[in-house]
Amino acid sequence: MDISSFINFFLIPGIILGSIYALGAIGVTLVYAIMRHGHFAHGDLATFGAFMVLLFSASSGLSPYAALPIAAVAAGLMAIAIDWLFYTHLRTLPKIITTISSLGVALMLRAVVQIFWGVNTLSYETGIARPENWFGLRIKPHEVVTVVMVIGLVVALEIFLRHSKWGKAMRAMSDNPDLASLCGIDNRKVIALTWMLVGALCAASGFFLGLNTQVKSLMGWNILLPTFAAAILGGVGRIEGAILGGLIVGICEEMSVLVIRSEYKVLSGFVILLLALLIRPTGLFRGKVL
Amino acid sequence: MTALLTMSSISGGYGDADILHDLSMEVGAREIVAIIGPNGAGKSTAMKSIFGLLTIRSGTIVVDGTDITGWAPSRIVRSGICYVPQVANVFYDMTVHENFEMGAFLRNGDYSDALERVYEMFPDMKAKQKALAGSLSGGQRQMVAIGRALMLDPKVLLLDEPTAGLSPKYMEQIFQTCRDIRNTGVALVLVEQHAKQALRFADRGYVLAAGRNRCDGTGVDLLNNRFIAEMFLGA
Ligand SMILES: Nc1ncnc2c1ncn2[C@@H]1O[C@H](COP(=O)(O)OP(=O)(O)OP(=O)(O)O)[C@@H](O)[C@H]1O
Ligand SMILES: [Mg+2]
Repeated sequence: MDISSFINFFLIPGIILGSIYALGAIGVTLVYAIMRHGHFAHGDLATFGAFMVLLFSASSGLSPYAALPIAAVAAGLMAIAIDWLFYTHLRTLPKIITTISSLGVALMLRAVVQIFWGVNTLSYETGIARPENWFGLRIKPHEVVTVVMVIGLVVALEIFLRHSKWGKAMRAMSDNPDLASLCGIDNRKVIALTWMLVGALCAASGFFLGLNTQVKSLMGWNILLPTFAAAILGGVGRIEGAILGGLIVGICEEMSVLVIRSEYKVLSGFVILLLALLIRPTGLFRGKVL
Repeated sequence: MTALLTMSSISGGYGDADILHDLSMEVGAREIVAIIGPNGAGKSTAMKSIFGLLTIRSGTIVVDGTDITGWAPSRIVRSGICYVPQVANVFYDMTVHENFEMGAFLRNGDYSDALERVYEMFPDMKAKQKALAGSLSGGQRQMVAIGRALMLDPKVLLLDEPTAGLSPKYMEQIFQTCRDIRNTGVALVLVEQHAKQALRFADRGYVLAAGRNRCDGTGVDLLNNRFIAEMFLGA
């Protein structure tokens, strides 16, 4: 295999998939950093976001790209509502209880999507998506958009967390919630803000997944395992780790078809998760909180 | 004396069992009050009860005329009282400067004057402002913690064992800082393990034992009290 087919058939698809996992893993990491529990509804929240894009673009005639911000807000509000309905009263109990209940929320979200849209495979209307040939590299326009927008989102999030007042409040609460409240930071507001961001990131990852593959009710559930693998591999609580973890898992998954049948390529996420937990459970970047 | 901070007959604890029993104390304007007592006496618990970090079953806490009993901590800070806990009192993964910024979270608009005052009080921290608080020594962390609490210009400052584990030199420095803070018009409540030094330096003191008031009085009186000396000062 020559270098250009390696890049075209493995590296580029791996980076696309990896960017999508990275967005998901950042969300998982944010949930853990602020609320300290695992979030199994993450994939189905992404599905919800992907279908919201479909809904808003179909009902308004907007392009899916233009519908994404609206869908992101909708998914964020959904996440806040879920938190308020299902997680707030569990806040003082052991975190494993919230983690498990998020699994129930995942099933509910998926059922809601299936009630409205059924179980068929749909896709976004973005016109033709013929690969451009750039010096022998075959890249589709929406792949460029995906990578550029993922980079943009990550940079924006990083700037928000480092430099804005409420971003710093999130880091403060992640570091020491009691001390944060002693500074006058209302923990409930930080939690709502976190769910807004997490919902928006989920919608983005769901949209990009739908853009590069298809839109269907199981799409988010299917990326849950590699997303968690990416978050844990990178070190939970580390945004840069989530990105690196996402890319590694995505590229490994695409390359795994060299050795296993493509139906089984999701296995690679599972293997990476196992290896990370066995060899370096704190992740590549030592896990911490924000 | 009109009290700035009044705790009246507080009973409460972390769960079902009460840790504090009928505890009362008072702090006047510009006063330094020391709280001493053996380990486990409930000194930290008393501080936390003022700040709404545990369940108060009965009694009231009044700050400057406002009854704050049962308020959330994030609301209590708005009443003009700030608190430096005994442990985990800085944001480890944030820089010194960011710690101070978090102290000023409730301030809208420009707070560079408050920042300047804090850096003036702790000149060493100026050079360390980009360092993560978690990378500092114990004494330096206390400075960050106290500086953080001063960012809101409190009327009352609660310090839980600010000198714990510090060398005599640092301890003297912290005490001097406390005097400076008082001279800016702030009342201080100081929980202290170094009972003798604390009583020598405080205006008044309270002795706690098993979650109750044991006795109180001026620092000098308590120092000269035979019983206290034998029980708590290791004389
Ligand atoms: N978070 C907590 N949950 C339950 N019980 C606690 C908690 N913190 C303290 N206690 C109990 O409350 C009692 C008083 O503890 P507290 O920390 O107030 O003592 P202290 O006087 O500050 O002691 P020290 O001098 O060691 O700091 C102790 O019996 C302790 O076991
Ligand atoms: Mg204590």
